[in-house]
Amino acid sequence: MRLLAVIFLFSAALSHAAENASGRWEGSAQISGEELKLIVDLAEESGKGWIGSIIVPGFGVKGAQLVDLHVRSSDLAFAIKGALGNERAGKAELKAHLTADGHLAGDFTQGGNSAPFVLEKIGPPQVELPPRSTPVSKELEGEWKGQYELNGYARQVTMKFANREGNAASLEFVIVGKKVNNVPVSLLTQEGDFLTIKSDEFGMTYEGHFRKEAGEIKGTIVQGPFEQPLVMRRGAATAP
Amino acid sequence: MRIARIFPGLLALSCVGFAHAQSMFRGDPAHSGTYPGQAPRQFHRVKWKFPTGGRVISSSVVQDQALYFGGDDGNIFAVDAETGRQIWKRATGGPASSTPAVANGIVYAGSYDGKFYALNAQTGAVQWKFTTGGERRFEAKGIHGLEPKNQTMADQYDVFLSSPVVVQNAVYFGSGDGNLYALDATSGELKWKFKTGDVVHSSPAYADGVLYFGSWDSYFYAVDAATGKEKWRFHGGEDPLIHNQVGFQSSAAVADGVVYVGCRDSNLYALEASTGKEKWRFNNQGSWVISSPALSQGKVYFATSDSSLYHVVDAATGNSVLKQQDKAYMFSSPSIAGDVVLIGVLNGTLQARDLKSGDALWNFQTETSKQNRGWVLTADRKFNEPMVFYSSWREAPIVGTDRQFNIGAIFSSPLVVNGVVYFGSTDGNLYAVE
Repeated sequence: MRLLAVIFLFSAALSHAAENASGRWEGSAQISGEELKLIVDLAEESGKGWIGSIIVPGFGVKGAQLVDLHVRSSDLAFAIKGALGNERAGKAELKAHLTADGHLAGDFTQGGNSAPFVLEKIGPPQVELPPRSTPVSKELEGEWKGQYELNGYARQVTMKFANREGNAASLEFVIVGKKVNNVPVSLLTQEGDFLTIKSDEFGMTYEGHFRKEAGEIKGTIVQGPFEQPLVMRRGAATAP
Repeated sequence: MRIARIFPGLLALSCVGFAHAQSMFRGDPAHSGTYPGQAPRQFHRVKWKFPTGGRVISSSVVQDQALYFGGDDGNIFAVDAETGRQIWKRATGGPASSTPAVANGIVYAGSYDGKFYALNAQTGAVQWKFTTGGERRFEAKGIHGLEPKNQTMADQYDVFLSSPVVVQNAVYFGSGDGNLYALDATSGELKWKFKTGDVVHSSPAYADGVLYFGSWDSYFYAVDAATGKEKWRFHGGEDPLIHNQVGFQSSAAVADGVVYVGCRDSNLYALEASTGKEKWRFNNQGSWVISSPALSQGKVYFATSDSSLYHVVDAATGNSVLKQQDKAYMFSSPSIAGDVVLIGVLNGTLQARDLKSGDALWNFQTETSKQNRGWVLTADRKFNEPMVFYSSWREAPIVGTDRQFNIGAIFSSPLVVNGVVYFGSTDGNLYAVE
């Protein structure tokens, strides 16, 4: 009986913490005399656990995904995906606890530096979900080939789309130049006839229009300052 | 009666429908800057604020309860006008400092990535993208007296991108590559382009089949909207020494056969729409007119930069009707709704003035402006120049301007819908106040 009571109290405390942590939090970290404004959205989704996103005004960060998100009792920890971090600096991380007066206080860590922050709940959560890959239309399934030039050398491109039942489509994306590059695809979307392919790892984007009547995907491949037209067609690759 | 005699076009515009009248920069293709309904005569509260990841230079437009605007964080946003919640965002490859236009369910906007976007208004899905010759800021050697004088530097005050105007299934906008573009609004195919001698960041105004816009090449142009052929050009001032008093950054407003436009040569010009002949000019003794004029009841409303003056002049004669001293530069364009004029100030305040008397009704100051980090402002909210511009060498003036702008400055032109005022700030927020 006592054990049941303890379990009940423990789960009630967790539920209370969850209720308290969920919301839009606004405040700032004090970085060596400068204020870094932070807006954090946290929510618990049934069956999915905690999700969150962050806005850092002035740093171009709007709705960046929170990862490694842990909420335990009144303690929280999470890292920011794809913003304020890189290989050298690592991920920016926040560790915090819910204070008795309803604030979220803790430490913001980035690049080995650490600064205290305090956030105040200002409303319900407005968590931004990261863009998700979609299925592609039947006509896009299968293999497409194209070619572009980089520094005077031809690059042969192969894209192989396949739909997976009930899921986003998969894509094998291969660029052959001096060596064979299997491009890891982080996002593949089709919106109407507009196709977007992103590789975070390669910092590469391909965007194009599927032109059914012409039997081609007419688009542009971008990698950093490099931008070239790239037309994908069925069968053998031809120069754009 | 007087209104109809002087500005018959405005009456016609007021009949084309609520949403259409606010779905592009300055409210309509002729850029009247006049909005239906009544702006609040008293400030009550911040209804909501929508945070973004960067400065909000763009003005917002509205269609079917959705606000659309660009962010310097690179996103184009759709936000619920009532709740301030995001409907969608679409990433571009650079700061989106252009005010979008909405027509036939498509949102049109430019970005510093040199692309022009057409997005589904409901979902943000890309309908098409058009690649221009690339964006850039106006630049010159020794600009504004920056040192070393033989170094070409970008103009730190060239903040806006050209905002599109949509008329009869064509979308028109200017570009840093010096062109004015006309695209098919449905397909994004190029109809024509018109080359000027320098950056075009003003927004073209449209009236009676003609587009009116200025370039940083010191000329103001009238171009046939159907063919892209030049009808006339007007030469503004030149400044070969420090390139400070040259170029059209202001967007024109057109009514009753007259084009009104501000210029960095410190004049507000009134030109005959059919010939380009100067009717009058209102000189501001060296102070830029970046603000795009608003037109109402036979008067022209505009503001200046360094002299920080709010002006009302007679549209027919150019004679001063009234002027009010403000505290800081104004790049924002005045918006008129009912008997209230709203304008943003670069010190981080939004000013509401009585249309007739010009008297201040209320003002709203952003939190960032109140914090006044680094004493960018004096205690009475003027720019604290000794603390900002302490050197003209190398990057110091650029950094100084950046600090000025970071004070929560309001560049955007306020939008008024159902008594709520929407505007962006460099503090990263889109505000809704009532």
